[in-house]
This record gives sequence, C-alpha cells and structure tokens, in this order.
Amino acid sequence: MLSWLVAMPVIGAVIVLLVPRRRGEVLLPLGTALAAIPLGLAGYIFASFEPVAGYQLVERAVWYEPWGIAWYLGIDGISLPMVLLTTLLVPISLAASTAISERRKEFVVFTLVLEAGMIGVFLALDLFLFFVFFEAVLVPMYFIIGIWGSEHRKYAAMKFFLYTAFGSALLLAGIISLAVLHSAQVGVPSFALDELMSLELAPSTATWLFVAFAVAFAIKVPVFPFHTWLPDAHVEAPTAGSVLLAGVMLKLGTYGLMRFNLSLFPQASVDWVPVMAVLAVIGIVYGAVVAIVQPNLKKLVAYSSVSHLGFILLGTFALTSGGLQGAVIQNVNHGLTTGALFLLVGMLYERRHTKMIAEFGGIQKVMPIFAGFFLFTAFASIGLPGLNGFVGEFLVLMGSYATLPVHTMIAASGVVLAAVYMLWAYERVFTGVPDKEENRLLSDLTPREIGILAPLAVLIILLGVYPSVLLDKIEPSTEALLDRIEAVTDYRVPVPGRVDDVFVAGDAP
Amino acid sequence: MSVLLAQAAQPPTISWLGIAPEVTLGVGAAVVLLVEVQWKPSRRALAVLAGVLVALAAGLAVALQIFLDRGEGIDTLLPFGGMIALDGFGIYARYVLLTATALALLAGWKMVEGLGPRAAEMLALMLLATAGFSLMAISTNLVMTFLGLEVGSISLYILAGFTRERTDSDEAAIKYFLLGGFASAVFVYGVALVFAGTGHFNLLGIRQYLTGVVVFEPGVLLIGLALIIVGLAFKVTAAPFHSWAPDVYQGAPAGVTGFMAAVAKVGGFAALVRILVSAFPAMTDEWAMVVAGIAAFSMVVGSVVGIVQDDLRRLLAYSGVAHAGFILTGVVAGMAGVRDVWFYLAVYSVQLIGAFAVVTAISGPSGTRSAISAYGGLATREPFLAATFSILLLGMGGLPLTAGFVAKFGVFTDAWSAGFQWLVIVGVLASVVAFFLYLRMIVVMYMDDPASGEVASPLSTRWVLGLAVAVTIVFGVFPGPLLDLAANALPL
Repeated sequence: MLSWLVAMPVIGAVIVLLVPRRRGEVLLPLGTALAAIPLGLAGYIFASFEPVAGYQLVERAVWYEPWGIAWYLGIDGISLPMVLLTTLLVPISLAASTAISERRKEFVVFTLVLEAGMIGVFLALDLFLFFVFFEAVLVPMYFIIGIWGSEHRKYAAMKFFLYTAFGSALLLAGIISLAVLHSAQVGVPSFALDELMSLELAPSTATWLFVAFAVAFAIKVPVFPFHTWLPDAHVEAPTAGSVLLAGVMLKLGTYGLMRFNLSLFPQASVDWVPVMAVLAVIGIVYGAVVAIVQPNLKKLVAYSSVSHLGFILLGTFALTSGGLQGAVIQNVNHGLTTGALFLLVGMLYERRHTKMIAEFGGIQKVMPIFAGFFLFTAFASIGLPGLNGFVGEFLVLMGSYATLPVHTMIAASGVVLAAVYMLWAYERVFTGVPDKEENRLLSDLTPREIGILAPLAVLIILLGVYPSVLLDKIEPSTEALLDRIEAVTDYRVPVPGRVDDVFVAGDAP
Repeated sequence: MSVLLAQAAQPPTISWLGIAPEVTLGVGAAVVLLVEVQWKPSRRALAVLAGVLVALAAGLAVALQIFLDRGEGIDTLLPFGGMIALDGFGIYARYVLLTATALALLAGWKMVEGLGPRAAEMLALMLLATAGFSLMAISTNLVMTFLGLEVGSISLYILAGFTRERTDSDEAAIKYFLLGGFASAVFVYGVALVFAGTGHFNLLGIRQYLTGVVVFEPGVLLIGLALIIVGLAFKVTAAPFHSWAPDVYQGAPAGVTGFMAAVAKVGGFAALVRILVSAFPAMTDEWAMVVAGIAAFSMVVGSVVGIVQDDLRRLLAYSGVAHAGFILTGVVAGMAGVRDVWFYLAVYSVQLIGAFAVVTAISGPSGTRSAISAYGGLATREPFLAATFSILLLGMGGLPLTAGFVAKFGVFTDAWSAGFQWLVIVGVLASVVAFFLYLRMIVVMYMDDPASGEVASPLSTRWVLGLAVAVTIVFGVFPGPLLDLAANALPL
C-alpha cells in the first residue's frame, strides 16, 4: 500500500514522459489526474487509519543485507497528516500551473518525481532510505526553480541547493555514525529507526549527532540564522514551486526534527530545548518584523513562513502534548494557508506581471472574489478563531506555556505582528480606489481558479471548526513520543502539559 | 601464507591460464598491427578485431574465476615464482579494466574512423595499456608491478600525443611523459628502499618479514613506502600530485582521454591497495595517516579548484582529483575498504568514459573545443546527450539512487568505522562542493541559451552513454550484485 503511494507518482511521471510532444495540451490535465491517484490512496489510508500509537501498514524488504539497509516504510499519526498534505498540494499546484508554457512535459515530470520523493521522506523508517528521499527531492525542486523561475532563478536555485546540500552532508555523516555504532553494539549495521532508537549513546556522542541532525533540518525549515535561502528561492520559484516548497518541503525539516531528533536523541533534545526555543522565538519575531517591511508581496509571504515555522519549532521543543500536536497540525495548516497565499499571489502575478505591493491598490473593486479569497486566507494565516491557523497556534502557545512561559509570551507577539503585516498588505493592495490604469483592467478569478482554491478554503474551515478529525489520529503518536522521552530521560512533562490535563477539541470527557 | 610462500620458493610454476587475459591483450596488440600491415582491412574491421580481443580476454578472466572457485586445475595461487597472484582482487581488476576498455573502444569509434592508417596503432596501444595496468593489478612483486606500470603508462603517453598535428596534444604528451616518468622513478626508488629495508620484492614476503620482526629503525622502510605512495598518487591524480592532469586531459585527443583517465586510475589504485593491504598491514597506523592526508587534500583541492574552471575537460580533471580523494578515503580502511573501493572504481571509470564521450561529441574526436560555454543549451539541441550526461554528472556528484551515492556511502562508512571520522566530515562537505561543479554543467546545458557549433553524436556515442547511464542507475538502485562481486575481490 505505502509502496504504491510512493510508486504512483513515478509511474505517473513515466506515463507523462510517453505523451508525444505535439499533444502538449493534455499534459497538465493528465498530470493533475495522475497526481490525484495518490491523493485517493492517501484518503483511503486516512479513512482506514487506526488512531493508535505505532506504525501502521509497515512494509519491510531487505535492500542490501551486509549494509543493513532496507526498504522500510510505515505511517503513524505524525506522518499521516504530512502525506495527506503532500498528495493534496501536488495536484492543486499542477492544476494551477497553466502559466508554464515552455517545457511543460519536463515540468509535470519533475513535479511528480518531487511528489514521490516527498511522500517517501515522510514514510521512510530506514534512515538510509530517508536520506535517499531527502536528497532526491532537491534535484526536481532545483530544476523547477532554475528552469521555470523568474529573473534571478539560477542564483536562487543554486543557493537553495547548496544550503540544503550542506545540511544533508552533515546528516549523512550522522547517519553513517549511527549505523557504525549499531554495528559495534549489536554486531550488524542497521539503519532502521526503531532499532537505532535502542542504541546506547554516550552523552557527548548524542550531542554531536543531535547537532548534525538538527542543523540539517534547521536549514530545511529554515530556522534563523539559516533562513537566507528561503526568500530568494520563493520569490524566484514559479507558483507551483513556491506552493510545494512552502507547503511541503519546509516541513521535511520540522518533521525530521520531531521524528528523528526527538526519538533518537531524547536526552540531547531535552538538553537543547533552551537553544531551540530561543531560535524558534527569534524566527517568529524576526520573520514577522521583516515581513512587515517587504515591498514584494511574494517575499512577504515567504518571510511569514519563517515566522509560522518558528511556531512549529517552538511547539516541537516545548515537549508537551499540546506543543507536539500543535506542531503537527500547524505543519498542515501552514501548508494549506501559505499554499493558498502563494497560489493567490501567482494568480495576481499572471494578470499584472508584478509582485510589488506599491504597484497595486484598490484591487478589491475590480477583483472582488479574489479579494475575498485573499482576505479569508490572510485571516487563516493570522490565526482567526474558527479557521485552521487558530487551532495550531493556540495549541502550540498553550502547550509551550507549560514549559517555556517566557518564550511563549514573546512568541505570542508573532500573532499580533502577523495581523500587522497581513492586514497592512491587504490594505495597500486591495483597498482604496484603483488609480492605476492597468489595475482597472484586471479580470476576476475564473471558475477554474476558484475550483483550485476551493478545496484549500474548505479544509481551512474544516480544520478550524473540527480539528479533531486530524488531532484524534495525531494524538496517540505524539503521546507515545512523549512517553518515550519520559521513559529514557529525567525529563517530566509538567502537570498542565499532558493530554489529561488540557482540553483538546474532540477529547472532552 | 607461509605455505604460499614456500610454494613460491619452489621452481617457478607456470600457469598460462593465470596470465591468459594479459597474454591475449599483449599478443592481440601485435596481431592488430600485423593484420593492418598484411591485409589493410577497413578500420571498422580492425576496431571489431580489437573488441573481440577484449571480449576474449574478459572471457578468459571469467574462466579463471570459475577455475579458482572450483579449486581445480590450479596448482598454486602464486605462479611464476610469486610474481603474480591468482585471487579475486586480480579477477575483479580485470573485469573493471576490460569493461572500461570495451566502452572506450566504443567511445573512440569516431576517432578510429578518422585516423586513417594509424588506427591500428591506436587500437594496439589501447590493448597494450590495458595489458600493462592489468599486470600491475595482479602482480604480487614490486618489480613486476613496476613493469606493468611502465607498459601501461608508456602506451598512454603515446596516446596522449596521438594527434600530432595539434601542438597542445604534443604538449600534453610531453608533460604527461615527463611527470609520469618522474613519478615512475619515484615509485621505483621507493621499491628499492623497501627492498633495502626488508630484503623482499614480494608483497607477501614483505608482510611476513614485517610481522615476524620488530624494525627498530624503520626510517628507510618508511621513506620507501612513502615514495611508493607518492608515485602511485601521481598515477591516480591525487593532490598534491595532480598538476599534470588538467593539462593532459585538455590537450589529449578527446576520443581516448576517458580511456586514459579511467585505466590509469584503476591500475594505480589496484596497485596501491594491493601493496598497502597485502604487504604493509603491520604498518597500517603509519600509512593510513599519510593516505588520509592525501585523501583530504585531494577532495578539497579537486572540488574547490574545479569550481573556477571554464573548460569541461579541466573540470573533469579536477573532479577526478576529488574522486581520487574519495576513493583514498576507502583505502584508508585497509582490507575492510577494498570492496567499496572496487565498487567506486568500477562505477567511476564507466562514468568517466561516458563523460568523455560527451566531450568527444562536442569537440570532435581529436578537437579541443570543450569550453563550458560550448555546452550552452545542449538540452534543446541534443536532448538525449544532455539528459544522459546530466544523469552521469549527478551520479559522479553522488546523488542518491545513483551508483555514485552508493560508492561514496560505502567508502565513507568504511573510513568512519576505521576511526577516520574527521576524514568523513571533510569528505561529505567536499562532496557538496563537488556536486556544485556538476550542477553547474547541468545549469549550462538546461538553463543557458543554446551555443552554436556542430554536435556529432553518432550511434556509438549514444550506446556508450546509454550503457554508462544504465550502470549508474541500476547499481544505484540495486547495488547488491556489484557489491557482492566486489566483496570477493580481496587480495591474497
């Protein structure tokens, strides 16, 4: 089942490759349809997913015995939401890529290959396999930015690639050292996550490995001070690239931190909470402040990502029920809202060919439906109650308050700053009178574009009013993670920090 | 082992099967020349003849392995008075060398066709070079190793200057000859000092001597060993002994550069690994540090200096320096690293020949046009060439799911297990920088405006590229078979 989930996009890519050149017009619909198949599979997995701890649908096949590497896949409450998000955003971004006119076939192929890699990252339970997918996603994304991006695309693509590749180099060294340690302690090398979790690590070794893993993932997130590749990559990437980059690829970092750093190095994670929390708070405030002053709408959304991902990092290293659940669901929320925002910015760009806020004004008079969608998404991004952003940020802040009160109070200012940059941008772009001639001629959204945005909007509301549809499936896994940390370290979650102590939607007695 | 040596001390046992592949190649070289003189066949027929000889040699290597596995028909593992060894190491080395030669013949097809009557010389030299490096790989005697080294190297010096009408080809040949000759001299001086220190030319004899006695003043021995390492480091273009490589790769005719680079590396590494692992296990602490230093320096110099190159051949030369460093990372691990060193060499030599096949297509078989800008927009002009070359480049860079990644992963794991963690960290960081080199080429091919100029991509080039890509991907996804094969490639 899970293997099919990884294989479907690759099969799709091969099918797309076989489409003859002259039938270029079928590529996007075909690609979207092919990308919808994994979505269907993921939906089925979601429906049949048991809300219990541990991995489900586990598949394991030996890859090369003497090295202990295996094709080892499984899904749990932490990876399930990420898989859903990935499979949802890929068909949407393909459907939204009508502006791609050159080399459309390669574009669809790269996107589908990227999807396979991203799904693989979330499902892999073997660190070697994980690394393979983690690296493999770089190449299609590199090409998507580098070929179909805007003016400075080559620079942005290179910067993106080099930053993340340096991170993964350290990750590779860390993974190798874990396998060698396993070989020394057990007699055979292994890369399986569950087997590596039982290694006895000397504190200094664990610290070094924690840092190696954390730096790799922090670059991906990106955590301040490793964030400088992100605005460049986002601004230059085509719309679909931005959506997938922000929606899914940044989550490879937050997911990796939760999946690998917390499970493999519990003691080091507990020790490093102060550092990670400070970096998270810096990211939240810094990202938000920089977003306020951006003259470029796309760059504004990019910096807002830095801020939002700071919340996820804070929630992860709060090491409480609320924090971890909030982090997982905020991964999804950020993917939905930022994905929608990038789609909206892309739609505006296709009409007006500029992303500079100063070029706009009074757009809501000429594009009322578009303005409505934008405001709605902006509200979700700010965290308006009733929309998804609120649930995630509320859980994170509440969960973090139990262990990191001071950090949480500063982080809460990020919510206010989010309102500042989002609403101020809205005001400048949409309100007033459309005084520029070009702006007066803009056409509103087409039914097709509304159809692209509608699923995201529906999910934004659904997760806002009924988050337990996901939280119920997330909770056992995050609780198991906390149980493990408590079992192997001296760390104890303070009293109002576990599920029993806090009210979680849908969890009423 | 002492049993083996006792056997070796007997009157020399002749094992024709043991050297049959080399004899085939050596005699084959003469046959090619004589056939040319006697019958003046078409150049195509000559090339086919050379290909048949290579295939025959490979078939004999397979036969030898079958006999070795069964243990039948083999009187001793050290025939000819211990001059050569019949072991998995030698068998595997022949597989790699012969595969590389076969691919190189295919890649050099255009050049052979354009050479006129001198085609026979080129083919004969290629066969001789392969025979020489093959002897180098199977020899367990330092003098024999030197002979193999010279047979192979001298053939390559001539090949480097094969297009005499071009001055840079002459320059390449002279430079290669002078520096290569110097390296050989250094090597042979090292052999002399090792002999002075141990009284043996035979690798197993040296090992037995060193395990049996405590050398109180190992100065001469250590200098000898260091000189041997330096001499071979020249051949495999490890830094700081690499300075000839960019000029030679740039000046030599494109049609044979891939071959030169690949077989010299395979032969050099085979000899280096065999000497270090077979003869000097007792001095691992001494040589491992030296090799690790050369490895680190090569990785850094190769990847960093490669960035500023604006000529693809120079870029490939520097990438070769970096790859020599990566391979040496596995050598550091001694016996435990042999398998992964062999995997790396097999994959890299095929990729290298593939890459130079692309150079040949752009610059013409004996031309020089290999500025990186000449590859601009190759994706729109020659989609197949650009796509396959990109996969090869990604493979050399070590992207997961290509054989290059498995190779790097293997040598890094070995070095880490051997306690050279710092070397692995230098290695992974250098591999990112090296990746940048290859990515830059892909950017040029896919994102730049098309350059002008003819691109000749005959069917033979396409075959070479297709095969190289197949090797890169198949062994990247299913490394098991090749790793298992290499796992048996251990020296006696």
